[in-house]
Amino acid sequence: MNTGSNLLDVEGLSVSYGSAKVLFDIALTVGPSQIVACVGRNGAGKTTLLKCIAGFLKPVAGSITASAASLVGLPPYDIAKLGVKYIPQDKKVFSDLTVRENLELGSYATKDYNWEPVTTYFPKLKTLMDRKAGYLSGGERQMLMIGRAILGNPKVLLVDEPTEGLAPSIVSHLKNVFRELSKKSALIIVEQNLPLVCAISDKIYAMNDGRIVAELANEASIRVEVCEQYL
Amino acid sequence: MRKAFDWWWGIALAFSLLAAMRAFLPLPFVNEILIFSIYAIGCSFLLGRVGFISFGQPAYLAIGAYGTAFYLFYFGTNPYIGILAGLASGFIAALIVGPLFVRLRSDYFALVNLALAVIVFFLMQKVLAPITKGDNGLWFLTNMTSTPVLDITRPSQFFVFAFIVGLAIWAFYKYLDDTLFGACCLATKINEDKLQFLGYSNFSIRLAAFVIANTTTALAGSLYAVYIGAVSPEITSPARAADPVVVILLGGAGTLYGPIVGSIAYTGMKDVISKLIGNWEMIIGPLLVIIMLAGEKGIWGTLEPWLKTLLFRNKSVVPQKNSSIEGN
Repeated sequence: MNTGSNLLDVEGLSVSYGSAKVLFDIALTVGPSQIVACVGRNGAGKTTLLKCIAGFLKPVAGSITASAASLVGLPPYDIAKLGVKYIPQDKKVFSDLTVRENLELGSYATKDYNWEPVTTYFPKLKTLMDRKAGYLSGGERQMLMIGRAILGNPKVLLVDEPTEGLAPSIVSHLKNVFRELSKKSALIIVEQNLPLVCAISDKIYAMNDGRIVAELANEASIRVEVCEQYL
Repeated sequence: MRKAFDWWWGIALAFSLLAAMRAFLPLPFVNEILIFSIYAIGCSFLLGRVGFISFGQPAYLAIGAYGTAFYLFYFGTNPYIGILAGLASGFIAALIVGPLFVRLRSDYFALVNLALAVIVFFLMQKVLAPITKGDNGLWFLTNMTSTPVLDITRPSQFFVFAFIVGLAIWAFYKYLDDTLFGACCLATKINEDKLQFLGYSNFSIRLAAFVIANTTTALAGSLYAVYIGAVSPEITSPARAADPVVVILLGGAGTLYGPIVGSIAYTGMKDVISKLIGNWEMIIGPLLVIIMLAGEKGIWGTLEPWLKTLLFRNKSVVPQKNSSIEGN
């Protein structure tokens, strides 16, 4: 379905790695201030989907539109400038640059030099400004990556497994941050943490073997035991 | 005031030492170090900041040198204008080949630049021999006229000119290091995909770095041409392709002062050892391996953290970089 109010529309998306097709006819929509989650087993195609939306992979079929602008064929940096930002799974920051320099990179690209939202969501970053990013812990790197990505008030954030390997306290903090972020930006979150996903998501897409096998869009269906059926 | 001191102290100290060396060492030796350092800093910037190793720097050195030589042999007599001609030649050449070369992975980048050095050598030695005079080279020492204020046709005053040029170049690269462009260059080396996701084009960043680095190398070629008063294809011989790479690895790739330290060490070892034995490279090679195994970061890369600790040991933190953007 393609409604004008959606921030992101994916229709009939298919992606291949060489001759191996990995995504089959994917369709999803993200509306303003929505948190949309993609869940599924390892190898279901969740990260491939996000990478394709972000421009890192080119689809062999289908369309991706963000506020009526087609993203297919655009390089990742142009897609980022259109307000669709990808936060990868690997938690790799620019390790030889300081936290401040990492944020400056985010600011310069978006001309947004107001770091108050970043330090409001992640007060710890204020104390780490002059530390090289390579010396941050996993949780601190995740904060930095999210903080850097929200500069410029992106329309859609593509967040890939943000809680992987993080302590429960940080996961809990990120849950609150995502809720706050969704007031300004829509989020597509790929996650294996079903309780987190069910707690914050407005819609959940379950994926299996490169296909969307279920769309859970109401309160009754957004439950851990329902999601588990598709894993 | 303190922040200004932090910014300048390193450059002031390095060039003060270079100036002091003039008092103790032969003029040709110090001039060679200055020119070689300028030659090496472009290569160091490409390797240390952008992650591109280039074995083709002799090509850009030759383009700068021949640009100057053509002007002074055929068109004019002012060495300053000759240097500008060489600089412009290097800039244009980098702009032409850059869009093709910077799209390549670092290993292919190294090879394609080496290929360029071979092409330029062949062009200057054979194809363009009617105008380059082939292996005989272009000789224009007596063509050059004296220049006002600083007569750079005289070696002692050339040193002063090259010193000022070197100081300006180091200040420029220090400025680049501290700007967002410097951070972008490092970021594209560390993780080019992540930089794209922030909205930056790796191609644009790499191209700008490539042009800056190789224009600097061409400037070294121009200075070399004016200093020697002659240019031959030997300057871009493939046998010399590794020279700047050896120098920066010796000194410390990607560090600001690595090229100077490497040039002093390399030129010094070459001059001293070659007086003792004929094949000085047989000593330099193993020595380089030992230095790399011992320090990995080169001489300056290894010394720099110790010096910083020594100089700032009474302070609670290392001085912070001056930044125009302050977080809350």
